Amino acid sequence: MSAHATTEHAYVPGEIAKPNTGWIWKTFWVLVVITAVEFAIAFAMTSPDLRTFRNSIFIVLTILKAFFIVGEFMHLKHETKSLIWTILIPTSLLVWLVVALVTEGSSIGETLSHMFS
Amino acid sequence: MAHSTTLEPTAAATPYSDAPRTGTWDGGNEPFKASYGKLMMWFFLLSDAFTFGAFLTAYGMIRHKHGVFTGTADKFFFSTAHWPIPEKVFNGFPGLHGLDLPLAFVALMTMILIFSSVTMVLAVEAGHRMDKADVQKWLLWTILFGAMFLSSQAWEWSHFIGGDEKGTLMADGSRMFGANLAANQYGPPLFADLFFFITGFHGTHVFSGVCLLVWCFIATTNGTFEKRGHYEMVEKIGLYWHFVDLVWVFVFTFFYLV
Repeated sequence: MSAHATTEHAYVPGEIAKPNTGWIWKTFWVLVVITAVEFAIAFAMTSPDLRTFRNSIFIVLTILKAFFIVGEFMHLKHETKSLIWTILIPTSLLVWLVVALVTEGSSIGETLSHMFS
Repeated sequence: MAHSTTLEPTAAATPYSDAPRTGTWDGGNEPFKASYGKLMMWFFLLSDAFTFGAFLTAYGMIRHKHGVFTGTADKFFFSTAHWPIPEKVFNGFPGLHGLDLPLAFVALMTMILIFSSVTMVLAVEAGHRMDKADVQKWLLWTILFGAMFLSSQAWEWSHFIGGDEKGTLMADGSRMFGANLAANQYGPPLFADLFFFITGFHGTHVFSGVCLLVWCFIATTNGTFEKRGHYEMVEKIGLYWHFVDLVWVFVFTFFYLV
């Protein structure tokens, strides 16, 4: 290795490419719209009978937001398939865990409230 | 001897030949086509997802173990018998004392964090073009938004701990204002405990993210990444920052919306 090892630059020094940011702002607006929809539903759907349905919508929209943040901002959509699956499979198991234990919690609450009746 | 006993390279390498293996998983390359640092950051984030997943799962289970207020929103009152409705607890706004603005401040906090994610991606994109000035600019914006989020969360905590003027009458006859780890005016003790624990853990992650970003800005300014020839460090810290935003999206949904 010579004392003056030079590195090859892909660009001419001093010349910087123009920003390619269209997709970034597009994703931003998608996230803003989804959040706005969540708030609209939070304030419009207040009936206690629709609670479970309302909460399911929130969870679906949140997972949708997660797909955009992880897929675009964190660039996972453009990585190799094996990396995508390495991340997605364990997190989908986590989603199952949350659903299972929320149901468990409801069941425990039910049992406790009927314990001494 | 007609047949040689020493190994000779053959055209078709057998599993036990000296020819080096060149499969994807045989070493010497990047199986996931990502650098070591980037891959390890992804694995760390996966482990952190398990940590926060565990917290939110515990929250879900504990919350659903408690009673639910069954009346309409206007008849709601604070009680340890049922979990509070978030709109009734988180309705303050800094500087607008006394106004009932349900979830307004937390909506602002969510927008601040999403903005910070956008500026972070812009910094990464600038790094791909080796545009040092733009990297510095977008890193500074991200640090600013991150600091704004932390200050907002600090205000939320102090407002939550301080409580309102009415307070809640407790079982022993005393009137409770605000919250601590043993009791709170909004509902069951675990409501405040879980609020502090989960938002506290998230806030700690935001704080460490801001520290990393500050270091990254200093390194960028010093020309460390120019010399290195790539801004991959910005990308790796960016992954951590987006993860922090992602966790907030989930915490926000579970605590404030559901």
